[in-house]
Amino acid sequence: MQISLQQVAPTFIETGNFSSSQVWNSTIVFNTGEKIQIVAPSGSGKTSLIHFLYGLRKDYSGSIAFNEKKIYGFNAEDFASYRQKHISIVFQDLRLFAEQTVLQNLEVKRQLDPFHTENKIAAMTRRLGIENKLNNLCKTCSYGEQQRIAIIRSLQQPFDFLFLDEPFSHLDDDNQKIAMELIEEEAGLRKASIILADLRPVEFFKADKTLML
Amino acid sequence: MRLNFKHIAPFLVTGENKASRWLSYVGLAIGVLLLLCSVQMYININDLLQNKNPKKDGYDYISITKAITNENMAEDHSFSKEDIAELKKQPLIDDATGLVANKFLVKATGGGAVPFTADMFLEAIDENFIDTVPPDFSWKEGQDLIPVIISSDYLELYNTVFAPSRDLPQVSLKSISSIIVQLDFSGNSGNQSFRGNIVAVSDRINSVLVPKNFLEWANQQYGNSAKTNPSRIFIKTKDANSPELLRFLQQKNYHINKDKTKFGRVKQVLQIIVSGLAGFGVLVILLAMVLFSFYLQLMIAKSKENLQLLLTIGYSPQWLSKTVAKKWIPVYVTVIIITVLITALLHWSFQHFVMSGREELSPFIHWSVIAIAFVLLLLSIAVNYRLIKKLLYKL
Repeated sequence: MQISLQQVAPTFIETGNFSSSQVWNSTIVFNTGEKIQIVAPSGSGKTSLIHFLYGLRKDYSGSIAFNEKKIYGFNAEDFASYRQKHISIVFQDLRLFAEQTVLQNLEVKRQLDPFHTENKIAAMTRRLGIENKLNNLCKTCSYGEQQRIAIIRSLQQPFDFLFLDEPFSHLDDDNQKIAMELIEEEAGLRKASIILADLRPVEFFKADKTLML
Repeated sequence: MRLNFKHIAPFLVTGENKASRWLSYVGLAIGVLLLLCSVQMYININDLLQNKNPKKDGYDYISITKAITNENMAEDHSFSKEDIAELKKQPLIDDATGLVANKFLVKATGGGAVPFTADMFLEAIDENFIDTVPPDFSWKEGQDLIPVIISSDYLELYNTVFAPSRDLPQVSLKSISSIIVQLDFSGNSGNQSFRGNIVAVSDRINSVLVPKNFLEWANQQYGNSAKTNPSRIFIKTKDANSPELLRFLQQKNYHINKDKTKFGRVKQVLQIIVSGLAGFGVLVILLAMVLFSFYLQLMIAKSKENLQLLLTIGYSPQWLSKTVAKKWIPVYVTVIIITVLITALLHWSFQHFVMSGREELSPFIHWSVIAIAFVLLLLSIAVNYRLIKKLLYKL
């Protein structure tokens, strides 16, 4: 499985600003099993890139292809299948169901295409220290707790590529390391690729490739 | 467990505006009930007011006589051959034939079963004008048993007026053929008795009919009068209510027996009323569906953020549409089943209590009513699904 970017550039950023970018207006291929770090200063379009790859936005030039099929032409059902089986994500703004419980948030993703059993959720929440929060409404959890919920949610499905957009911004060092270990284990289970985008390089992420946005 | 509505239920705001939801269910039920009852009533009217034969071949049969006024009371009111020929020539009249009447005295005696005696008249007409001609409606010279066809109106008159007033037994349609009436003829060449057997009942000809060859023979044998012209003519026409026909007959001073046409008019009016009710029922159904669509739009608008997020995390819009739409199938099925049952109960009550179990009306609802209910069910489900799909794909 691969995702390839051909001369992709956001239409809302001036072309002149891409000269030093290793991603915009370039040809890049992400293969399964690779660990890619994308370092992106604020305003360089990091979240836009993630949204382009996930198919949430189309305001770019160039093309993004999944296994040589351009995702620009995907219809709603194609995207549903793409997001169920091939790509998973931790959004920078998390995008959890605030009025539902932690467990409901995790289950609604897991039952879509279960990669794990229900018990695994409990084990993961225990590992990330939020097992007591399962029956709490998401909106009552701290931002750090919500980040951990979003990470666990992203690991409930099959995927070939996992996109992470500043996933550890509100976690302390210990929790960051534990979360990273969990992510790498789960990606390993699936032989999947991890694409981590952050403001600065993440020390404990042993990337195969680091790209400057 | 397979993914179903239960899994996404917590993410949808379905409890809002319960009142409008229930109002739309009730409205749908009322509309469907009106429509189904109207359809069944339309069929009932058809069955009850059916002139079983007159329009069978697409024609009306009506009898005409010459109008008798104070001024012309003493004149001859029979139709001459020229009169009949003129009638036949009219473009709106397809055929015309006279009724031959008896020209001698006839007395009818009921015998043991139905003891009565009455002076009678007998008539005869071309067989192709009679609506019910059984195979045994024939006579050979020397035959003592005479087949008789009487008008259904006369049977009803006997059962409702004559019999009760004289303490005589009423006679059903089925048992009438078992009665033998004694017919006593008296005239020129003496008296003779025959046995009359009622072999059929006519909705078209209001008379007591015997085979034409028998009456012609009897008139010759016992006839007192030299008159051979008929006093009544039956005409065959495509439309008994045609203004041109009515104008022509009025011009000729011919009197029309309008009973059968009035009958048709009554049926027409009733069916128009019932069709109006059906139309109203359809309108109520449409209004109920519009109200329900408002509820759906509100639900989806209130659940918009959650629905968008479900789509973002990989839920298929097609699956969501189908699953949300399926939630309301039990409601539609329940509404339709209840209304069909109520219609069946109302119809049965109508047949049993109002119509006293008349045979022309089946106690069960017509298959077309159930078919319409089924079509309505499918339509509701389809319209509902399409609306939800449209709303979801817009998100």
